[in-house]
Amino acid sequence: MSFAIETEGLVKIFRSRWSGKEVRAVDGITLSVEQGTTFGLLGPNGAGKTTFVKLLLSCAHATQGRATIFGRDAREAEARRPIGYLPENHRFPTYLTGRSMLDFYAALSGMDGAARRTRIPELLATVGLADWGNVRLGKYSKGMLQRVGLAQALMHSPTLLILDEPTDGVDPIGRRQIRDILHALEQQGVTIFVNSHLLGEVELFCRDVAIIHRGKVALEGKVKDLTAGAGYRLAVDYVPERLEQELRARATAVAQRNGSLEFLFGSREEANQAVDLLRAQYCEIEALTRTTSTLEDVFVRTVEDRQ
Amino acid sequence: MSTRSLRVTVALVLDTFREAFARKIFWAFFGCSTALILFFIFIMKIDVVQGAIATISLFGNTSRGQDVQKLVRQVHGAIAAFLFTAGMFLAVFASAGLIPAVFEPGRIELLLSKPVERYHILIGRYIGNVLVIAANIFYLVFAVWTVFGIKTGVWTPGFLWSSVLIVFIFAVLLTVVVLMGVLWESAVVATMVAFGIMIMSPILAQQTILERLLTSEWSRNVMRVMYYALPKVFDVGRIARSLVLGDPMGGWMPIWSSALFGVVILSAGLYIFSRRNY
Repeated sequence: MSFAIETEGLVKIFRSRWSGKEVRAVDGITLSVEQGTTFGLLGPNGAGKTTFVKLLLSCAHATQGRATIFGRDAREAEARRPIGYLPENHRFPTYLTGRSMLDFYAALSGMDGAARRTRIPELLATVGLADWGNVRLGKYSKGMLQRVGLAQALMHSPTLLILDEPTDGVDPIGRRQIRDILHALEQQGVTIFVNSHLLGEVELFCRDVAIIHRGKVALEGKVKDLTAGAGYRLAVDYVPERLEQELRARATAVAQRNGSLEFLFGSREEANQAVDLLRAQYCEIEALTRTTSTLEDVFVRTVEDRQ
Repeated sequence: MSTRSLRVTVALVLDTFREAFARKIFWAFFGCSTALILFFIFIMKIDVVQGAIATISLFGNTSRGQDVQKLVRQVHGAIAAFLFTAGMFLAVFASAGLIPAVFEPGRIELLLSKPVERYHILIGRYIGNVLVIAANIFYLVFAVWTVFGIKTGVWTPGFLWSSVLIVFIFAVLLTVVVLMGVLWESAVVATMVAFGIMIMSPILAQQTILERLLTSEWSRNVMRVMYYALPKVFDVGRIARSLVLGDPMGGWMPIWSSALFGVVILSAGLYIFSRRNY
């Protein structure tokens, strides 16, 4: 298996210049991101997500450990050639127009003039800013800046996209548009690494996730595995009182919803036993579904366990 | 330099020009220079007869009988002196923000994420900044030199050489701005330190007189070290004046020692920049 990103025991300690106080922002992160996947990096504020991304991009220097991008030492300038990056809280120079900004950053990425001239209108159209290319960035809204920022990251057709809060400040339609663009890139085999606190977005979009807490990887895996297999939900219209009490004792949770009684069972066996008891008394079963945790549940559980 | 590397340098230089245009720095200098050039073209009238000025007319006042060579050199000298003093202060003040602007959070991360070495980013920006000021100085000097040449027939090259020295000293002072920018990320601190060096320069240039006034050998040594270590803005200005007036130039020491200072300070700036976390 080949990896787009690999880190091994990555540590970043920040030392205060005056007091000498140390902060371990990243504390021994070992992580592998498969090529072609969509990867979400999650964590509470101050967990070390942005520092981790900065280490990948050599904006910050690791105190210990190593990071590679497509097998190349992340500290080398050439390792950054396949990367398209959209930082959080970016400040694009406001004296540039959308077009000149794309041109400038693409030139830094090594694209020649002819390729830039072809690609700029294409990408402006893709992100829905075709009519805004000659307008100064100072006049753009936050959502538009985010979209032109994404275009900037895509200019040189990167094979690894690192996005820090890509939908921050973008309205729902813009968010959908960004998701569609990213899905199209995923189809083309581009590895997408998203650093976000919007768990719903990550759950919708990412295949793999890692949750970082206090600079360490607290949990890592496939989204479908992490959110699956929590139990079974049984919805019944009417249950005789005695049987209800019995089922309440067996269930992990009970709720009254839309006129139905919902029992939550921890295992398939318990759910089947409940079905047998209900059917023996001719009770009408409304629904039986397998329940999953949301990524938010997983995230909260993971962070709380580590507190 | 490879094509890719050249492309990056050109992009960084052009970006500096764009920022200078947006901050009105370039246009302010260009406007002042153009006003001075127009002044010499339209306001000053000179009649030359057989190598001497028959009349020179300025705002309606007419004077007669001066040596044309002497007059042209004096005007050239006055402009060069202005550029070396007030012009240099203005240039440093106006362009000091161009370097620290690069280190703004949200901007620097994006630059560093590109496949470009850190030193390349800083050098590209430095070259761009020097070229913004150089374009204006060369424009002013060359235009004034041409106007006087046409009006008087005197084409002394000294004035043109002085513009090279003016740009050179600006480039040296800009290395201080780069270092301070990297260390403190503040245009104000960078400007203050560069101004401090400029103000110290004429004082340190009087070292032979000062040495006689100082009582201890230790303080004399401190002064000598400061004189040789810091860029010699005043002394290079004197060399420029000599070039303009056609006088002997004296030694090259002020030039090479200032260049050495610039190289050391710029290298220190590049080294610190390469080690910093953003």
